[in-house]
Amino acid sequence: MMLRRALLPLAVTALATLWTTPAAAQPKTEITFARFFGACESDYGSSQDLAHARGECGVMTTLVNLFNATNTDNIVVKPQIIEWGPYYQQLNARIAAHDIPTIAVMHTAQLGDYTRYVEELEPVFKEAGIDPADFTPNARAGVTVGGKIYAMPWDTHSWLWHFNVGLFKKAGLLDATGQPLVPKTVDEMLAQAKQMKEKTGKPYIIIATSGPGDFANSARGYYSWLYDQGGSIFPNGFEKADFKTPESLNSFRVFEALAKNDYITKGLDGSGGLGGFLNGVGAIYMTGTWRIDDFLAASAKPDSPLAEGYTTRVFPNLFKSQAVWTDNHSWVLPKGGTTPANRKAALIFLKFMWDHNFDWARGGGHLPARQSLMTEYAKLPLRQYVVDIPTFGRALPHDVRRQFGFQNMIGEEIANIINSGKTADQAADAAQERSVALLRGR
Amino acid sequence: MQTYRRGSSFTDRALFIAVALLAIIWIAPIIWVVGLSFKPNEVLMRTTGGIAAPPFTLKNYTDILASSSVFGWMLNSAIVAIGQTVLTLVIASLAGYGFARTNFLGRNALFVIVLAALAVPEQAIIVPLHTMFAMFDLHNTYVALIVPRVAFPFGVLLMTQYFRAISPEIEEAALLDRASRFKIFWRIVLPLSVPAQVTLGIYTFLHAWNDYFWPLVSATRPEMYTLTIGLASMQTNFAQTEGIGFLMAQAVFAGLPVLILYLFFQRYIVSAVAGGGSK
Repeated sequence: MMLRRALLPLAVTALATLWTTPAAAQPKTEITFARFFGACESDYGSSQDLAHARGECGVMTTLVNLFNATNTDNIVVKPQIIEWGPYYQQLNARIAAHDIPTIAVMHTAQLGDYTRYVEELEPVFKEAGIDPADFTPNARAGVTVGGKIYAMPWDTHSWLWHFNVGLFKKAGLLDATGQPLVPKTVDEMLAQAKQMKEKTGKPYIIIATSGPGDFANSARGYYSWLYDQGGSIFPNGFEKADFKTPESLNSFRVFEALAKNDYITKGLDGSGGLGGFLNGVGAIYMTGTWRIDDFLAASAKPDSPLAEGYTTRVFPNLFKSQAVWTDNHSWVLPKGGTTPANRKAALIFLKFMWDHNFDWARGGGHLPARQSLMTEYAKLPLRQYVVDIPTFGRALPHDVRRQFGFQNMIGEEIANIINSGKTADQAADAAQERSVALLRGR
Repeated sequence: MQTYRRGSSFTDRALFIAVALLAIIWIAPIIWVVGLSFKPNEVLMRTTGGIAAPPFTLKNYTDILASSSVFGWMLNSAIVAIGQTVLTLVIASLAGYGFARTNFLGRNALFVIVLAALAVPEQAIIVPLHTMFAMFDLHNTYVALIVPRVAFPFGVLLMTQYFRAISPEIEEAALLDRASRFKIFWRIVLPLSVPAQVTLGIYTFLHAWNDYFWPLVSATRPEMYTLTIGLASMQTNFAQTEGIGFLMAQAVFAGLPVLILYLFFQRYIVSAVAGGGSK
């Protein structure tokens, strides 16, 4: 009897505990999330405040924190963060070792290499509640390979001219409204560059070309001017590249003309290029959409060489019709990464990300992948000048593998033009020869 | 260690000045790295000069320490580096003694194969190595991080050469006393080879601690990252332009254990670099 009395409160407590903590009984579903963008636990360790999240790392960390804290399905997203540079090498190794993440980030320029290894997503979107009709034209083109959608687009990033308005003013190159005059032809650009050099003594364009990590910079310029002419490095199919078409040679020659007259900086690395622009070393900085907020912040400081004004424009069309290099970050479901148990969780997380696409664009510095967000996006500072990029931006062709290999090779040849005095024709010849090796393993 | 003395010849003085200049040139980038690691990233976006001028910050270091994983990565690096060092010493010593002191069929051919392995770059075998460990489902384990590195041809070569240089008469005396081969190795030869062991141990430890490529493709889960992979994963996409202070702090942080090791064992490291083990 005494024993029963003693045990009764224990039994009641145990029952009450079980009754009041049903969630503890529900198993957690874990999904792995392979990405670059860095880690920033010190600033965003447990933050769920998206309004104040800044930078790719900040927004991404906050999004995952928010999802883990608020989803009602007991889903836990475990980020697997990898350095940007060797990200794809590691992903390849993981696929080979069958250690496959549930969701992985992917540049759409790389997607053509991975269609065998990632799931086709169009049927999945319906299940997840994601409407592909809302993809921007550029985002849709980016994630579509051979008519099939293999990724959920996350943004568009592109190549811009960032202007030091003060130097443009000093050179007498502002229009009546105080905005920089954007050249419309190569001759116009070279005339502006000459005027800039004469009036300010400074180079017209700053570009980083000195290290392997910088080769993409000039390649993106090459692609943009090539696309302006309606050109392609694969004019006759993807079996053979042609770097000696008139369009390709014209693109190389723009860089040659800029370099020959010292209108473009030589031998700068990424850090030197960025520091150079912030210190007023040159008038225009060729870099991406993701730098707008950094330069706006710099221009707000009274002692900044950008204090007289900073603005940006789409990479100028010097030829026939406006086009520009673009790429996209996207999310893929690698084959073998999901199980029946965590598949639904992966789709719920993808939908969450889709619903927060604007937060990424606002804080991460890229254009949204959703057309429905463009009006809101255009209201952000200076974004009215870049908001149309998804309508005319051109991604690298998916049918060619090793796009990043091509990008680096082209950039290296342009770096040779700028830094070592190689001629445009020599660079085109070298690119032609090197493309054979790149395509050999298609 | 020889020190510079007053009254040395002109050649000695010139040599001293040249060496001092070279040392300054060599150490300047390291001082620069340390200096940059105490500067705010926003300042370094504009210029990476003026490391001695304020502002200074500890944020780059606190950012590293704020990562909940960093001490786990450090522990992984320590386990891997110590594991590799111990196993390499065991294998290289045994193999080296075998090549130096025993006669067996195919010894020379086998030694040539070991030497040939010195010429095979790591990248050439990475795919089959990765596939093999994937087949046995060993990736993301300490075994995968340690084992591929313990067959270290340079270590075998170093120990072989060292054992060959030890007078065989000592062993012959022991053989006459009917000591077994292993006993001779364990009791007589191994203690004599301590300088070479230390040299090889330090070399292996440093190599293991700094290793990047193999851990990158084998340790793909953050909990199994070594310090090099973990610290690199923290970098943003534009680290080389906007996070230079953090990048430099990472380099200093990752290098500290190695620096401490160097302070304790510099005599052996110098001798290793100078000629492969003091005798």
